[in-house]
Amino acid sequence: MAGSMESTRMQRRWVQVAVAAILIAAGFALRAWSEPVYAGLLITAAAVAGTPIAVRAVRDLRIRRVGIEALVTIAAIGAVVIGEVWEAAAVTGLFALGGALEAMTMGRTRRALALLLELVPETATVRRDGAEVAVAPAEVGEGETVIVRPGHRIPVDGQVLLGRAAVDEQTVTGESMPVEKQPGSEVYAGTTAAGGVLEVRADRVGADTALGRIIHRVEEAQEHKVPAQRFLERFARWYTPGVVVLAVVAGLLTGDVRLALTLLVIACPGALVISIPISVVAGVGRGARRGILVKGGEHLEQAAKVTAVAFDKTGTLTEGRPEVAAVEPLDDGIEADELLRWAATVELGSEHPLATPIIERARAAGLGLPERPDAFVAHEGGGVQATVDGSEVLVGTPMLLSSAGIDVGPEASAALERHRSAGRTTVLLARGARVVGVIALADRVRDDAARAVADLARAGVRRRVMLTGDAAAVGHAVAEQVGIDEVHAELSPEDKLAVIRALQAEGERVAMFGDGVNDAPALATADVGIAVGATATPVAMETADVALTTGRLVRASEAIHLARRTVRIMRQNVTIALATVAVLLTGVLAGEVHMAGGMLVHQASVLAVILNALRLLRSSRNSHERNSHENEEPESATAGARRRVTDDEEAMLTS
Amino acid sequence: MQTLRTTNLYSNELSCPSCIGKIEGRLHALAGVEQASVHTTTGRIEVRHDPEAVSVADLVAAVGEAGYTAAPRGF
Repeated sequence: MAGSMESTRMQRRWVQVAVAAILIAAGFALRAWSEPVYAGLLITAAAVAGTPIAVRAVRDLRIRRVGIEALVTIAAIGAVVIGEVWEAAAVTGLFALGGALEAMTMGRTRRALALLLELVPETATVRRDGAEVAVAPAEVGEGETVIVRPGHRIPVDGQVLLGRAAVDEQTVTGESMPVEKQPGSEVYAGTTAAGGVLEVRADRVGADTALGRIIHRVEEAQEHKVPAQRFLERFARWYTPGVVVLAVVAGLLTGDVRLALTLLVIACPGALVISIPISVVAGVGRGARRGILVKGGEHLEQAAKVTAVAFDKTGTLTEGRPEVAAVEPLDDGIEADELLRWAATVELGSEHPLATPIIERARAAGLGLPERPDAFVAHEGGGVQATVDGSEVLVGTPMLLSSAGIDVGPEASAALERHRSAGRTTVLLARGARVVGVIALADRVRDDAARAVADLARAGVRRRVMLTGDAAAVGHAVAEQVGIDEVHAELSPEDKLAVIRALQAEGERVAMFGDGVNDAPALATADVGIAVGATATPVAMETADVALTTGRLVRASEAIHLARRTVRIMRQNVTIALATVAVLLTGVLAGEVHMAGGMLVHQASVLAVILNALRLLRSSRNSHERNSHENEEPESATAGARRRVTDDEEAMLTS
Repeated sequence: MQTLRTTNLYSNELSCPSCIGKIEGRLHALAGVEQASVHTTTGRIEVRHDPEAVSVADLVAAVGEAGYTAAPRGF
């Protein structure tokens, strides 16, 4: 499998670096004893580290791309020619080290598609010639009748012919509340039925289903996503030819080949080739310790440029599970607690997904509940009934109560409407055929959502958009609470992708925050896909470029700040390296600098860029981290830095 | 003019750019295959073909001859 192949490739890189390092050390150890042996060992080291670089350089040149590899190769060969074997070994060794470090932070093979496919049930039960047969979901014929038992995944898109059930559709629609299904309702492949057997007419099967289309969209996004050109590549495109031209011109003008080669060697310092990888590794390492898992250095560069953020609602801005939001008696003689106790007692016998939050709330309020309800009856379509304190209590949707012949009445209707416009789901309680109360359930907004959105605004993110599969009323209710003004509601997974594309077409760099299967196409299409952990489905985690593993949304702006800091330090490092080059080149051309002194300056600049990158491992001074109110051990800014590097290395090596 | 249809085969053995040419070549050599493209990132082999002239099993066999195991996928 691809994963193991990657790790062997990575091992080979490290082996090359280690072998080169050992050869260099051996060379220096034996230098006093024999100069030729020293030179031989260092040239061998340069060959070990440099051969893969040269191979890549040639491969790049074939497709007319001039990379940093070409410069390293030319410089190393030049260094050997002018007898600077240590410089040849150093520049190739450092570049190989940089490559190995970068490989640790490179995008690993994603398993998103495999996980999406796991949502497809193994078999579908189809009625053929009066008998039930199990077939592969894709083998179901259009128009055939599929039987779905409670707890099973639905294998096709279609219409319910018979039966009632509550279906959890979060995978496909992102809707947090289970949806009541009855004959005539539409159901989707990959969603899970609870509470009743359904007979479904298969309208769309396999690749034509909503889930099939999600899979296909994610696939296309992954196939067409051009890997972002990394800073180093963009830089090398003009730097390498520039240096070569300079060396050639200098050589022609002076007729001094040695001078030309010296210029080449000086212009390709170890500091330059190590400066970017070391910054990326430090940035990724810092993120990992803050619960920001970056799946590749290139995503840090992308995240630094974000101008627009799009949030999925359910499970990203909200907790992603229904909670009791209001308990409202419609009868003066009844206390809210009493109402809740009745509802919870009845719900004890129910398998309905909305039963759990009602029972939890009653237990949290310390209301005594029996072992099980007396005379429990489950009605078709999710209504439940039991005898509590000697009278019959019925809990169900307004529709169910009407169909049970109970008059809902104007007072209850008004309460229902009020909750519905606030984006809540409601159940009614009837006692002895009279409506006595309403319980409203809602998906609670995350505590830190409003602050996370405000932080992003402060960080200069121009546009903040909400994308939701839910109804507009629900979307706007949440948007108001978190401070988002642009809401796109009732979106299919493909619509979400289209909104991201539209933002990109307007010139925005978009970060998409999501957690569900239905967000996967948008996560894969956005410039940076960010999965918000804790609630995130494995599919979203795999599709995203960055995962906030703590599930704290306030980390969102921190991730963007970290990305910007990393890019800043990257640029500083390149500046340090280039300044060193400029000084040395001037010195060489003026005849002031000799190779030995030049090399010493080089090594000092290597040390400088490494130390500069390690600053990323400390908290930033204008700390966006500190104000995320977390009980963390305070970090001493300097004392811990050295020790923490090793922690990070360990964390990365064992991950 | 027969009706063409698109079949997707999947293989988790596609890792190198060199296998693209091998597989596409084998598929194009089949009578009835109009277009074949290999996506290494996702392991998808997309084939437009005339199902009358060349079956899905034939396509799988052709990919097999190139040295890769592939299978059609329902979703």
